Amino acid sequence: MAQVLIPTPLRQFADKQDTVEVPGRTIGDILATLTSTYPELRKNIFNDEGKLRSFVNVYLNDEDIRYIGKDAARVLDTDIISIVPSIAGGSLV
Amino acid sequence: MMHIERGPWREMVNHAQAAFPNECCGAMLGTIDGDSKTVTVALALDNVSEGSQRARYELRPEDLLRADKEARARKLDMIGIYHSHPDCDAYFSETDLKNSCPWYSFVILSVYDGVFNHANSWLPNAEQTHAEKEELTWPKS
Repeated sequence: MAQVLIPTPLRQFADKQDTVEVPGRTIGDILATLTSTYPELRKNIFNDEGKLRSFVNVYLNDEDIRYIGKDAARVLDTDIISIVPSIAGGSLV
Repeated sequence: MMHIERGPWREMVNHAQAAFPNECCGAMLGTIDGDSKTVTVALALDNVSEGSQRARYELRPEDLLRADKEARARKLDMIGIYHSHPDCDAYFSETDLKNSCPWYSFVILSVYDGVFNHANSWLPNAEQTHAEKEELTWPKS
């Protein structure tokens, strides 16, 4: 099964695990299974419309899923999936 | 509350002062014990904001992925992001809020005329509508 790396602040919602093995053949399958297994994760990753929150990126190994098929991206058992935030800002209001 | 140890604190201040008059940014790694966070490693990361960086910063997600991997390799947690505010105070601006992530603490270093002045830590909410100030300590000498 593919491994999903859980960011530190979200581990409290995944039984304190830093890595979770999740079955599935696509990114969409795996994120759906992950967030149905750990419903508190869902609120942190998806918005009310079921879309990834604006600050959430998902990487399949070292590639952003937006450039490799999004939810339909194929996943192998040896793959590693990471949840990575988008962060920016600045002093100008 | 968050405490930043001497080594990473010095690196963050040096980074902020060296980047002046532009904003700098980076990641903070360390340990978490309940509500108590201790930063033991600061990772300077590139500010990739296009155009003037005097009042803007942006981190590459790939760099944050690398920082997370480094934290795992060191058996540490990624606990926050830092950036600087050149020639203004360490408030959490509307721009900071709208581009934040509620998973991490955000430390802002105020730098006036190239010299560190003060710092604050902020905890934004998931809706990116509000940020609470977090108690922050660092070595004063």
